[in-house]
Amino acid sequence: MTRNIGKWLISGPPVFYLAVFFVIPTFIMVLASFRHAGEFGGLAPIFLHDVRGAHLNLTLESYREYFSDFIYSRLFIKTLIYALVTTFFCLVTAYPLALLIAGSEKRHRDLLVLLVILPFWSNFLIRIYAWMIILGPQSALSVGLNGFLGMFGIEPVGLLFTPFAVVLCLIYVQLPFMVLPLYANLEKHDPALLDAAQDLGANSWQRFWRITFPLSLPGVYAGIALVFIPVLGIFAVPDILGGTGGIMIGNLIKQEFLEARDWPFGSALSIILTLGALCIVGVAAMVAGRTVKNDA
Amino acid sequence: MGKLLFILFFVAAPVFAGDELHLYNWNNYIAPETVDRFEAYCKCRVVQDYYSDNEELLAKLAAGAKGYDILVPTGNALASLIRQGALLPLDRKLVPNLKNINPAYLDTAFDPGNRYSAPYAYTTTLIGYNVEKMKQLGLPTDTWAVIFDPKYLARVKGRVTVLDSQRELMAAALKYLGYSANDTDEAHWYSAEKLILRAKPYWAAFNASSYIKELTVGNIWLVHGYSNDMFQARMDARAAKRKFTIGFSLPKEGAVLALDNMVIHKYAPRPDLAHKFINFMLDGKNSSELTNMLGSGNPNLAALKYVDPEIASNPAIFPGKESKLEMLQDLDMEKRRVLNRLWIKIKIE
Repeated sequence: MTRNIGKWLISGPPVFYLAVFFVIPTFIMVLASFRHAGEFGGLAPIFLHDVRGAHLNLTLESYREYFSDFIYSRLFIKTLIYALVTTFFCLVTAYPLALLIAGSEKRHRDLLVLLVILPFWSNFLIRIYAWMIILGPQSALSVGLNGFLGMFGIEPVGLLFTPFAVVLCLIYVQLPFMVLPLYANLEKHDPALLDAAQDLGANSWQRFWRITFPLSLPGVYAGIALVFIPVLGIFAVPDILGGTGGIMIGNLIKQEFLEARDWPFGSALSIILTLGALCIVGVAAMVAGRTVKNDA
Repeated sequence: MGKLLFILFFVAAPVFAGDELHLYNWNNYIAPETVDRFEAYCKCRVVQDYYSDNEELLAKLAAGAKGYDILVPTGNALASLIRQGALLPLDRKLVPNLKNINPAYLDTAFDPGNRYSAPYAYTTTLIGYNVEKMKQLGLPTDTWAVIFDPKYLARVKGRVTVLDSQRELMAAALKYLGYSANDTDEAHWYSAEKLILRAKPYWAAFNASSYIKELTVGNIWLVHGYSNDMFQARMDARAAKRKFTIGFSLPKEGAVLALDNMVIHKYAPRPDLAHKFINFMLDGKNSSELTNMLGSGNPNLAALKYVDPEIASNPAIFPGKESKLEMLQDLDMEKRRVLNRLWIKIKIE
């Protein structure tokens, strides 16, 4: 019993924190999505008073707006594609790196992990602005690439203000979030398993696919969740590096709250995004659960 | 030296005790020397907080921000704040310097009779360009056509940015088509949308922040943007000794003028200091310092004699009467939704 009280005391503050700053705001947002927009922005009163007395002033208008035009879903799908591409490239680039760190000598590992985290020491926006310079038309990268393309008679290409720039920067920003959970998982693998596999005649490819990869799946799923979900809501990267067709759903939500001053529609979009992300994660978890079971 | 500063701090501290003016202003929108002189004059401390657009200001106040004395909203945001009852009326006896303001900038539709606001400075939305490139490519610089007409755009493909702002870009397109910037006829909006979509493949980006730098370093040659920003780009290019110059001019079809105004928030802790500040900023010399620093337009007639002649003679900063400038009016919720949906289409297509 006393042990339980101790547990509650320790877990109390974070639970309280999440309740106050996550659960309550989420409910406020759900409610806001059913309200009318105020004339100057903000929200219209929730109760209307007239001759019949007070009655609730709620509406489905924001959701109707979303489904009235396919354009919103198109933006949603485009955002999903960006997030999927980002997650895929994060996974295939982070995996070998995590494997390398986990396989290196113990005394080097901490330093290598530190190097992965190092970019976080400078501000997120500054790192994105740096990409503007790297991808700009006068950069060594652009000049070199276009010189190379020119040798084959191909027209010079612009790198900045393109979907390519957006996805490239998203991968850069999210990469550490893929490396860390993968490393945390791979580091714990028992090297004896690989030795045993080798003794039984498995080549290095088989050892990876039959031993290392299946064991690392929890790390893979954690990394995918950490990369995929934040990318869905990101708006700074497309704002800064995206061209005329670069916006994602996060930009639209920001625009609804600021420029359009339409809080209910912005809230509705956020909720649709959250539900969409939950569905995807749910389906993915089910599929993942099944494969893990089948393997077992 | 350290010791001296330490002593100074303790000597100076009692003077400032308690007396603070909270100024919620645009980023980089007051000259530091003006702030220093005001602090000496009122024996108070100016505490500054910044916003980067009117929406940010409105959103923050709508969310219940308090503690600001002075705000500096643009016309349409001013009207919105007045209708919300968020401002204190000005006490005219405390701001005699209001007489310095050019009557053309007083009594606007946003605040008839200037009950709440005193003009601070203005910007125009116009086209800025790389002078040498425009000459070399034979492009005109006195018309919106250069931003919207594929005939011209084909020569600068991928070297053009337009503002990432629904109202500003729509206003430019409407002006080019010969309508008012405040036209709310949806049929006209749709022709403007068509015009924008036809021009869009030639633009590099919708951009409201980094175009100054891109213009200064020579990556972008033609932009739709604000006069203050163009002035900064020109000064930066000059300081960096670039081989080109940045020019900017008002299109002959007309453009948007944005007048920023000083107002006092309803919950101002120190309305007395706020009035003092407004009157101080309406003084010609004090007002001219902002113009000399930023190249902002100045509605203050008494300031003109202190303004750098290069700035004063620039018709894009001090436009003549013939320049068909319009201030943007606020749209109602229903129109905002229509425009917003149109804008999303423009950005996704």
